[in-house]
Amino acid sequence: MTTMATSLPQFPWLSLLIGLPLAGALLCLLQRRSAIECRWLALVTTLTTLMIALWLFVTHGDGQAGWLLREDAAWIPRFGIRYTLGLDGISLLLVLLTAFLHTVAVLIAWPEQRRVPLFMALLLILESGLMGVFLAVDLVLFYLFWEAMLLPMVFLIGIWGEEGRRRAAVRFFLYTLAGSLAMLIAMIALYLLHAAQSGAPSFALADLAQTRLTLTQEYLLFGGFMLAFAIKAPLVPFHTWQPDALSESPAAGSVDLTGLLLKTGLYGMIRFAFPLFPNATRNCLPFLAALALLGLFHAAWSAYRQEDVKRILAYSSISHLGLVVLGLAAWNATAWQGSILLMVTHGIVTGALFAVVAMLRARTGTRDLAELGGLWGAAPALSAFFLLFALASLGLPGLANFTGEILVLLGTFHTQPLWALLALPGLVFAAAYLLRLVQGALWGPAPANRGAIADLTVREWLVLVPLALLTVWIGLYPAPFLAPLAGPVQAALGGLP
Amino acid sequence: MTWLDVLALAPVLVLVIGATTLLMAGAWYHETRPLIAGGIAVALVAAVTAGVAPPSPMEIAGLFSSAPFARYFAILWSLVAALILMLSLRYASEREFAAGEYVALVLFSAAGMALLSGATSLVGLFLSLESFTLALYILVSFHRNNNQGAEAGLKYLVLGAVATGFMAFGIALIYAASGTFHLPEALNGLQVGGHLRPWGLLGWGLALVAIGFKISLVPFHLWTPDVYQGAPAPVTALLATGSKGAVGAALVMVLASAPGAWQELVPLLWVLALLTMLVGSLCALPQENLKRLLAYSSVVHMGYLLTALLPGSPEGYSAVVFYLTVYTAASLGAFAVITSLSNAHGEPQKLAAWHGLGYRYPVRGAVLATCLLSLAGMPLTGGFIGKFVLFHAAIKGGFTGLAVVAILASLVSFAYYLRVVMVLYSSDEPAPALHPGTSLEHAVLLVCVSAILLLGLYPAPLLDLIATLIP
Repeated sequence: MTTMATSLPQFPWLSLLIGLPLAGALLCLLQRRSAIECRWLALVTTLTTLMIALWLFVTHGDGQAGWLLREDAAWIPRFGIRYTLGLDGISLLLVLLTAFLHTVAVLIAWPEQRRVPLFMALLLILESGLMGVFLAVDLVLFYLFWEAMLLPMVFLIGIWGEEGRRRAAVRFFLYTLAGSLAMLIAMIALYLLHAAQSGAPSFALADLAQTRLTLTQEYLLFGGFMLAFAIKAPLVPFHTWQPDALSESPAAGSVDLTGLLLKTGLYGMIRFAFPLFPNATRNCLPFLAALALLGLFHAAWSAYRQEDVKRILAYSSISHLGLVVLGLAAWNATAWQGSILLMVTHGIVTGALFAVVAMLRARTGTRDLAELGGLWGAAPALSAFFLLFALASLGLPGLANFTGEILVLLGTFHTQPLWALLALPGLVFAAAYLLRLVQGALWGPAPANRGAIADLTVREWLVLVPLALLTVWIGLYPAPFLAPLAGPVQAALGGLP
Repeated sequence: MTWLDVLALAPVLVLVIGATTLLMAGAWYHETRPLIAGGIAVALVAAVTAGVAPPSPMEIAGLFSSAPFARYFAILWSLVAALILMLSLRYASEREFAAGEYVALVLFSAAGMALLSGATSLVGLFLSLESFTLALYILVSFHRNNNQGAEAGLKYLVLGAVATGFMAFGIALIYAASGTFHLPEALNGLQVGGHLRPWGLLGWGLALVAIGFKISLVPFHLWTPDVYQGAPAPVTALLATGSKGAVGAALVMVLASAPGAWQELVPLLWVLALLTMLVGSLCALPQENLKRLLAYSSVVHMGYLLTALLPGSPEGYSAVVFYLTVYTAASLGAFAVITSLSNAHGEPQKLAAWHGLGYRYPVRGAVLATCLLSLAGMPLTGGFIGKFVLFHAAIKGGFTGLAVVAILASLVSFAYYLRVVMVLYSSDEPAPALHPGTSLEHAVLLVCVSAILLLGLYPAPLLDLIATLIP
């Protein structure tokens, strides 16, 4: 995996992606006096980051395997820890998603009145941490970002969240931390085994992947890594923190949490757990698929039974991610491309739904489905967007999620027809709870005591239009987003079933 | 005593002579500010001396080493003393402490800690340990009008005296079994000790009990929360950092001097580490008083240290030294925040008094949050690197089970530290007005936070330095 010839080899673009939001955050904290300046500062920072990510996408998104960009520097030589960042097609898409969703999140958080500088700073630190997670190729560096991104999220939930925020925040933190620490132990153990074999201590992913392990060792270490990733994703038995965290979080936090933080778990499997422990992975694929299917149905059923709009969306997230994991477990190129695309589109679509719900909530003061209704007549533009994103979420052809879902199902059917057949009813379930959501919120009689509802403001148009455009674009013409995946997915699957 | 001995002892001599001078000066001259300023200057000079004076290859009177390892800790404890005196300036004048005595005691205890960190003989260990504990007995109850302080002082004195008894008796047994006070012979002697061997082992067990008292290992930790709570906050800082750290350093000296000679003590240490981490964590969870919480957290940290000591490997000792350094910075920082928020009416100890303080005093809120997160082991702070090297050493040495317990303990520790941080930034009620803090106090905070962040982001130089120090 050598560095590809790049257009600007010297310039540390990847460090810039991490550093720029961090610098913006520091400026926000120093400039505590003016809320307006902080908002603009955050917007400019996220927009600039988005521009860089877009530029990288345009210049490097042609589907080569291997590292498109790579940065490497010594950090703690005594332990062979290096500051190594790498960008391949998979991380390219997720970096782009991160930059995009954070720009949207800043716009969503625009009307926030309480402690704006701190809010914006935390949002930017979170962006920086996420970029680090998607770019780090040294395991310790990855772990560093992996844990560091938790804290801003915890504060976003704990300070600006809704009634049960404190509890939800701490629970989210401890739950994910438990997984992380298991990963840390596995990481150190793997490092020690590798150092004993090779004599050259290293935490680099490429080096550690060369470690010769017995199957038992592989299972144990794989378990440590997967615990962290399964909790973050979340896979079903480990998901109980997620509905609380998502529903107690402020709107911008929900978008981040569902759109990006959950993806880090899946990304961790693809980038670290699978390639480091290929034999354990191969043997565990059916188990993983079973968990994925369980999640798909359990979460869909739970979503159907919720009254709280945000909780419906939270469970729908789990359900969708079940499909993503199923695609990964199917272990072929088509399914993987579908899974990764679905990760991206789910981020956009569910993020958009959380944004719409936050707008609804700002107008009606409730997120209880029973107290909503009759929105179509009162706020037609808002309702139209709501409908669009809900339809995209249930996988309507021509909208974003459809492409990913169909690729996952096709790919899965190719290798494991039974899994694909089992997954199909899950999509019907999705239709059921999403239609119930739409029906309850948009149609039916409006509650008697509700006053007039204003339609979208300019800012809200600015939030929703880009999301809607992307939803339609990926639905109709996904090729540019699938292109960067071709090479890396082939490489990642190489040598396995 | 030769000229070389004097040179080797220079840092400690600076501290002791400075302390005596200030004590004498304080008898006639009662101004707080110049006395404390003098104390700070003495401590800084001692730190510089320890840095530049050439280490002697000889042991001083067969009791203390002046090897780089001892010098490193002499610098560290002198700096800690300087920072604590900086913190004490306003605190002491508001409470009308007798400045000469206060400064002298802090400097004496720093000298004792510096000696203890380099003790090469059981006599040296005993002498230096008792000398700084003696200073701390007085310092803990220095605030004469405070009942809690008096209670704390008495508890510390009584339990400390018991520990001294254990230590003296243990040393006597070791001497009887091995025929020497000197390390490592006192440990190695056990291997060939014949029929006196059980008595020697008992002696080491008793000495461990005494050490357990000093660094509050469970079940010898019961004094810790009360004394931490009652002692003046700057003194608590000294108790939490220097007094525990110096004993930790002495343990490294003892264990590293005779590799493999203390295998019989491993199960005992293992159980102590396990209990310490478990009980400390569980007791820290429900605390509503920040000083008590930090007391229990310090108990847990000593459990982590034991975990890294057990393998008896150079990595383990390096990890302990690095961890002690980071822990000192973070712990000192936390107590510095408490001190700087205290006013003449008292210290803000109850967590209920901390609601929203992070907004009202953003700098100190952020510093306390950073220190607590470093103690918990959050990445980007020194605490994470500390935990990392510690777990690494434990797993490499085959103590995976204990490492898992340590990891669980740090998971629990996140729960109690994060609770404090959440309280700092909860905005349910307006924060009470506390002292705005002096610039000197802010300087201490700056030093602690810089150390924590520097060691978190770029630990390589210190890790390399420490690797060369291990005896």
